[in-house]
Amino acid sequence: MMIPFGHALAFAAALFVLGLTCVLLRRQVIMILVGVEIMLNAASLVFVAASAYWQQADGQVFVIILMAITAAEVAVALAMVVYLWRRKRSLVADVFNGMRG
Amino acid sequence: MTELTSLPQFPWLSLLVVLPLAGALLCLMHRKRPADCRALSLATSLAVFGVALYLFICHGQGEGRWLLYEDVSWIERYGARYVLALDGIALLMVLLTSFMQVSAVLLAWRVERHVSSFFALLLLLEAGLMGIFLAYDLVLFYLFWEVALIPMFFLISVWGGANRRQAALKFFLYTLVGSFFMLIAIIALYQIHGAQSGVYSFVIGDLLQTQLTAAQEGWLFAGFMAAFIVKSPLVPFHTWLTDALTESPAAGSLDLTGLLLKTGIYGLIRVAFPLFPNATESFLPILAVFALVGLFHAAWSAYHQDDIKRLLAYSSISHLGLVVLGLAAWQLTAWEGSILLMVTHGITTGALFVLVALIQERTGTRSMKELGGLWGQTPCLGFLFLLFSLASLGLPGLANFAGEILVLLGTFQQHPFWAVIALLGVVFAAAYMLRLVQGVLWGPVYKERSLPDLTLREWIILLPMAILVVWMGVYPEPFLAPMHGTVASLLAGGLP
Amino acid sequence: MNESLLFLIPLLPLCCAVINMVFGMRLPRLFAEVLAVTGVAGAFVLTLLFWGYAEGEGTRAVLFTWLNSGSVDISFALNFDRLAAPMTLMVTGVASLIHLYAVGYMHEEEDYARFFSLLNLFVFAMLAIILADNLLVLFLGWEGVGLCSYGLIGFWYRKLENAKAGVKAFLVTRVGDVFLAIALLWLFAITGTLSISEINAQATSISPSVVIAVSLLLLLGACGKSAQLPLMTWLADAMAGPTPVSALIHAATMVTAGVYLLCRLFPLVSLSPVAMTAITAIGALTAIYAATCALAQREIKRVLAYSTMSQVGYMFMAVGAGSVAGAMFHLLTHAFFKAVLFMAAGCVIHLAGEENDIFKMGGLTRRGPVELFWVFLAGAVCLAGLPLTGGFFSKDGILLALFTHPDPFYRVFWLIGVITALLTAFYTFRLVYLVFAGEYRGVGHPHALPLLMRWPLWPLAFIGLLGGLLNLPAFVGGSETLHHWYDNLAGRRVIASHEVEWMLILLAVAIAAVGWFAAHWRYRIYRAPQANALSRFLLNGWYADTIVDRLFVRPFAAMGRFCSSGCDRTLFDGTLNGLAKMATGWSSLIVQMTTGRLTTYLSAFAWGFLVLLGWFLLKLVSGGGH
Repeated sequence: MMIPFGHALAFAAALFVLGLTCVLLRRQVIMILVGVEIMLNAASLVFVAASAYWQQADGQVFVIILMAITAAEVAVALAMVVYLWRRKRSLVADVFNGMRG
Repeated sequence: MTELTSLPQFPWLSLLVVLPLAGALLCLMHRKRPADCRALSLATSLAVFGVALYLFICHGQGEGRWLLYEDVSWIERYGARYVLALDGIALLMVLLTSFMQVSAVLLAWRVERHVSSFFALLLLLEAGLMGIFLAYDLVLFYLFWEVALIPMFFLISVWGGANRRQAALKFFLYTLVGSFFMLIAIIALYQIHGAQSGVYSFVIGDLLQTQLTAAQEGWLFAGFMAAFIVKSPLVPFHTWLTDALTESPAAGSLDLTGLLLKTGIYGLIRVAFPLFPNATESFLPILAVFALVGLFHAAWSAYHQDDIKRLLAYSSISHLGLVVLGLAAWQLTAWEGSILLMVTHGITTGALFVLVALIQERTGTRSMKELGGLWGQTPCLGFLFLLFSLASLGLPGLANFAGEILVLLGTFQQHPFWAVIALLGVVFAAAYMLRLVQGVLWGPVYKERSLPDLTLREWIILLPMAILVVWMGVYPEPFLAPMHGTVASLLAGGLP
Repeated sequence: MNESLLFLIPLLPLCCAVINMVFGMRLPRLFAEVLAVTGVAGAFVLTLLFWGYAEGEGTRAVLFTWLNSGSVDISFALNFDRLAAPMTLMVTGVASLIHLYAVGYMHEEEDYARFFSLLNLFVFAMLAIILADNLLVLFLGWEGVGLCSYGLIGFWYRKLENAKAGVKAFLVTRVGDVFLAIALLWLFAITGTLSISEINAQATSISPSVVIAVSLLLLLGACGKSAQLPLMTWLADAMAGPTPVSALIHAATMVTAGVYLLCRLFPLVSLSPVAMTAITAIGALTAIYAATCALAQREIKRVLAYSTMSQVGYMFMAVGAGSVAGAMFHLLTHAFFKAVLFMAAGCVIHLAGEENDIFKMGGLTRRGPVELFWVFLAGAVCLAGLPLTGGFFSKDGILLALFTHPDPFYRVFWLIGVITALLTAFYTFRLVYLVFAGEYRGVGHPHALPLLMRWPLWPLAFIGLLGGLLNLPAFVGGSETLHHWYDNLAGRRVIASHEVEWMLILLAVAIAAVGWFAAHWRYRIYRAPQANALSRFLLNGWYADTIVDRLFVRPFAAMGRFCSSGCDRTLFDGTLNGLAKMATGWSSLIVQMTTGRLTTYLSAFAWGFLVLLGWFLLKLVSGGGH
């Protein structure tokens, strides 16, 4: 039983928008990263749905790769978060405005 | 131009450009040994002067348009060639440049900070100036134009007076904006010429044949004039010069007033006038107005000054106004007078700047309120100061008079009204120069100071200038002779 | 002898000047002084030796090319002709005697090398004017004398007033030089040459209006150097210089350069009656102006300065009346007696303890050597024009020329000349009485007079008294030597009937006598000077200085302020700074976009993304419409 492609795309789009909203509206760095995660997952969902639609395995392979990349990226990002915490004892994104002007 | 491609002979002209560059590089490599740097730069500048003197004596009389011509292909893809050309006018400029550089190096002998960089910059400046006077390809010309700018900027901003940062920045930006317009005009001319004739070239000789509509010619001419008017300088675009001259170190002022200003006028003669004859013809009266206004405005401003260096800066502008007037008259005698006046002005005003630097070293001040009665304390310095001031105000028998009277005689034949007005400016020159002499040499002594008279090094700088001043006033023929053919052909507009 | 040797005449003083300038202070003082005197005396001897060259058409000698460019071909050339020779002789002769006097006068001066080299340089420049073959060499000498007078007037430079007097002299004469230069340029443009003889030859072919204009320009140029109206304010202040300077420059040589110029170019100038009338008018007005000012002066040298101005006015009147011989005659006699007067005045000042004010003198016949009085009196009677003196004949010659001029309007000038003669006699004897008569009124101690300050006066006084022999008019039995010497250069031949001549002579005698008696009546017995408005007016030279200051000097300085502070600083720099401020203003506006905050950048991302998306959608929709 196939889920209609359009439904999957719509769902992924909604998820993406939610992720974007999270990125834009949250102040805390970790929450921004969570938002980025959600956006990445939305993208993977599109890949999965497309793979199911066109009956090709390439999409699912790419999703696995994406997960690996995401994991690496999260590792680096959280390392940076630790460093930022040590710099300013705060994780609010607005605090780090050294590039101002 | 085809018959004058690289002659198989010693590349004297390239030597003139390369020697100072090599000297500059060597100086930079000897950071830790300032004494070596000084000796090296003196040797280099003397060598360049020797080459220039050799060219003057042996190649000064030549048939045809050019005395020496070097042509090597450079950037083939865009038609930019490495072309250095020497004619009578360039010969005089080259001689003047090399002579003044020797004096500048001697004057800068006592610089303390960053000695190697100072001399390296001086030599780089010399290379740039030589290039400007010799280049016959527009890209090369522009390259050297900018090359001459950068060392001056650093000289002023690092070794200058109290207000040096501002003055250097003003100088740099002002002249850069002017040359930016020139760059646009160069590229536009290149494109137009290439589209018309199919040959894309930057060599001035090739570009002379371009057919331009009146509008095109006007705009392109304006682009070039933007650079030259600022560099000349013509009032009201002169305010950079007064600040730059006042704040720059002694050797820098010498170069700035003696040489860098001449590049603007030289650009008119070499580039702007030949390339755009119709636009030139219509612009000449406006140029004359600019020149006369500059003559008077600068003279009046000079009269008001208290700082002697600033006064001399204004006197420079005033004299160059007269030079430009001679050019605007478009007459043989007036042109020869203008060029001679350029050379003599470089020497007389340069010598005065040297003397001002010496006075400042000794008394620590440049204000006329705190000077006075210097004749009694340093008679030799005072005498030379008087001599060069008299030469500067145009006393017959001394240098500037020869050029001035030729300019006036020539201008009067074409435009008598201009010559009469310019003569009035001569009285003004007497007014401010005498005020300068009075403030410095005569009157009661301001403060009893024990001031040493001229040292040997200072005599070596000033004595040749004094001899030249008297020589060029009484017998300027050797300096006029190389010019005759060149000026005649430039005025006729017909060039090979 | 080779004619190039003629160049030795001006070059000898020049060489001595240069040697003195460079080595003067290192050599023993006597050497420098001897060198200076030899320079000028040698030139005098050479002039005598070469006198033969001046006869006939004169001799022209060329040294080398000065300027050669296009149509301009001017060389250093001199022309020793009949006009130049007597002038050269006079200049070198008087200068030699004044040099001797100066050796005595300046024997306490430490800076002697500069003084003597400037004095020699001056003689060189004056000789350049006299002997010049072309107008450019003349201009060289012209400016040269201006420079030397600047240096010599301001010689004692530690006092600022002296330096200022020198500057004033230079600047005022430079204004005159501008007019001369314009005439020079114009003549070159018309005739294609600057050679004086060629210009004179071509004079008749120049259009009349141009002749008038050029002549007026030459006149103004001459006025500058000769201190005539309106360029006369410098002469009185020039007395700040040492007395030998006043004697040489402001009595005998520089102030006569203007007259000489007009005589040189007489064939050109005389073509236009308008110009001639202008010359005469200026001469007349200056003569009477200066005579009135001399009436009220208190300083001895200022009286003599104004009297010089007045006598040069007479010379101008002579030129304007057409008599070159008359002008040169008066020039020569005036040189002698005025130099004597100045040098004697120097002695008088010494005797009065460096006091200049004649009201603080008196009775100096007894205070000093008695010969001083006689020498001074000799000069004074020449100046006043007492009969049989040199000054009498020369002044009478001028008045005769004016009276017999074809144009009846010249009688007015003649009348002015007569009145001025009266005033001249009056102020001359005023001077004599106030200085020498009665009892000594001052408080100074007399300084000893060196011998060299006394005996050069004798030859000059002698020549001044006998100077009439130079050009004794025919009707008294003379041979009019000078007039015959000048021959065709002499200008109009003055012809008058015997009755007219005797009438004028008697009138001259009467005037001199009246002037003398008036001075005797007023000043023999000393009375304190009145300080009323009229005497102040005359003392200050009709307030000419103040007028010049208000009209020219102050507006000039104000213009300087305007150009420098007003234009340059406010306008030009202000515009540039305004542009710079505008640029920095914009940049500070734009820089507000870079907040450095992550959230701002992320929202910028999102918005940009939306805009792009919208654009693509629009393209899709409009493209899909086909």
